[in-house]
Amino acid sequence: MGLKGHAAIVGAAQYRPEKYATAPRMFHLEQVADLADRALQDAGLKASDLDGLVINGPHFHEASVFVPAMAAEYLGLRLNFAEVVDLGGTTSVGMVWRAAAAIELGLCQAVLCVLPARMAPFGPDEDPAWMARAMRFGGHSTAFGAPEAEFDLPYGHMGQNTGYAMIAQRYAARYGYDPVAMAKIAVDQRTNALTNPDAMFFGKPLTVEEVLGSKMVADPLHVLEIVMPVAGGAAVIVASKELAARARNRGAFVTGFGEHLAFKSPTYAAEMTETPIGPASRRAFEMAGLKPADMDAAQIYDCYTITALLTLEDAGFCEKGEGMRFVREHDLTWRGDFPMNTHGGQLSFGQSGSAGGMSQVIEAFTQLAGRAGDRQLKRCDRVYVSGTGGVMSEQGALILQGA
Amino acid sequence: MSMNKPMPAYTEISRPFWSALKEGKIVIPHCTACGHWIFYPRRHCNRCFSHAVEWREVSGAGQVYSYTIARIPTLPDFADEMPQKLAVVELDEGVRINTTLVGLAEDEIRVGMRVKPVFDTVRKDGTTLLRFTAADKDMATRIDSSPEAAVAASEACTTLARPRRQVRFDDEAAMKALVSDEYSEWSSQVLVDQALIDEFVKLSGDDYWIHTDPDRAAKQSPFGGTIAHGALVQILQSRLRMPLGFEVVGFNNMVNYGSDRLRFPAPVPAGSRIHARARVKAVERLAKGMQLTLEVTTHVVGNERPSVINELVILYM
Repeated sequence: MGLKGHAAIVGAAQYRPEKYATAPRMFHLEQVADLADRALQDAGLKASDLDGLVINGPHFHEASVFVPAMAAEYLGLRLNFAEVVDLGGTTSVGMVWRAAAAIELGLCQAVLCVLPARMAPFGPDEDPAWMARAMRFGGHSTAFGAPEAEFDLPYGHMGQNTGYAMIAQRYAARYGYDPVAMAKIAVDQRTNALTNPDAMFFGKPLTVEEVLGSKMVADPLHVLEIVMPVAGGAAVIVASKELAARARNRGAFVTGFGEHLAFKSPTYAAEMTETPIGPASRRAFEMAGLKPADMDAAQIYDCYTITALLTLEDAGFCEKGEGMRFVREHDLTWRGDFPMNTHGGQLSFGQSGSAGGMSQVIEAFTQLAGRAGDRQLKRCDRVYVSGTGGVMSEQGALILQGA
Repeated sequence: MSMNKPMPAYTEISRPFWSALKEGKIVIPHCTACGHWIFYPRRHCNRCFSHAVEWREVSGAGQVYSYTIARIPTLPDFADEMPQKLAVVELDEGVRINTTLVGLAEDEIRVGMRVKPVFDTVRKDGTTLLRFTAADKDMATRIDSSPEAAVAASEACTTLARPRRQVRFDDEAAMKALVSDEYSEWSSQVLVDQALIDEFVKLSGDDYWIHTDPDRAAKQSPFGGTIAHGALVQILQSRLRMPLGFEVVGFNNMVNYGSDRLRFPAPVPAGSRIHARARVKAVERLAKGMQLTLEVTTHVVGNERPSVINELVILYM
């Protein structure tokens, strides 16, 4: 079952994370064209090689329907495969495996997976308050008949922070909780970010004391355990092995993937501390014929420290309930015995909307290609990547391997 | 409670649940084919997909599945509930409900604690939310946190009835001793609803849409609805009963000299309750009499950021 590993990430482009207030404003179509050009140059491929497109549907500025056709027309591409992915923070992981599967099916040879995440210029009737209005209910639907509008919002259950906090609180009741270990996740990742000039928090060291002394947002989560939303945008090109052979970089071959979702609110999970990344990761490892211990690095979606912790456990890097001990006993930095989120993770790199998860995919590709500069791992042939959307409600995993 | 808090919009599917809450009862769909309890309400069983689903009354007894204390409002409109005690409750039937805990101190809350329902009327129209408290808590089964009830409770607050120390206006030492960095306790509350804002529109002639047009404001205002005029909130301080703890006496005449500083740092969304507190910032003897500067800050209930800062200058002669 699954992929043969005949498709690889061969090129990538990523806007440096920036504060929304000062980031350039670009139409999403223009960002798509710009990111495509940069990713093609990175890969050493031509626009005419592209015959597949995977793009975000939600939050696409210039259209809410017919997005792939509009983008193909704008870019000037002829496509044999087009797909919209609507999986929140696991959109990036979902894009890459869909592209690889389409290539292995023989539908296409090179797929642009792209997520524009800078704001568009304001129209004549738009103003900065537009942003505040759009964000008032975060990712929650207020539509008539939407269960969350009726049963969550009236009680103040909204946004991501409190959902993740409740998962952490239940975890604490079941397995115990070590705030210092949780802070260490953020601190080790910051150490990684200190070697990444593109990271939002480059040049800003962080200590456990600072994390634990930062404002409590929703017990037990401190503000420094929560990602900072930033403007950005990212693209990768997934290509057939034939094209990969003439690309500039060592390809990151997609040898395993998994995806799992069953609810939007973790309130309705069978058990909210046993997350969908478990079944998704088991499938990915099985498909690749590899085990967690075979990985040279893990690029784990980290919207919150608790997300990273539960992924370490449920993906099988340690036993359930042993995550805090694992974090205490391992050095998670690029120099350490368990390199994790070597670019700084989204906690230190910044989270550019649903493109945030692509930072983890791109870091895996960068490490596999041996182009990670100061933070380059000595040996990097196999990387685990995870994606998390909603409140650990939709999750996906990739196994990427160097040729 | 702000009128801009999201309220449940009932559907044909969910109506029996919300109607029962108004009567202090909980009904939940139950699958007669497989025995599964279903929440939130659906017409099908989300275990066996049967449509043989009927409403059944349950006691509401259950336990805290998880919770968090939110220290930053999840929406500005929830500022009056800070800190928010958000919880997932698992009823004994096995269904889980997103809710809030009431009548409990932060350190009384535990995962797994037994809870019982509290029916909270949050609107004059009877809209009732299902909250929970500890099973062993001696607490009313029905509470009323509607804005009108909260204002009435603030009026009845005992601090307002406390006797006030009398200070002669010409006793310079006693007057200067009133100067303080500490604010008074909170005043009584006033509900700033759309009707009140509309009256001020007539009086002032300021009919800008952000104050007058709830439909347009819901779509275009960053505050999710209309807001009160700063000037309206400023003058409403006359209606707030302020527990200052002292009373200036012995003067022939008192003149409102205006304001040294007037700022409107935060909006007051229609439907908000406001209250104020004050401190004596300065006292100065002038040739004409004794001048007192009273800093009054008016806040939306629960909001740390004031909506009006007014440094009132009063001359006692």
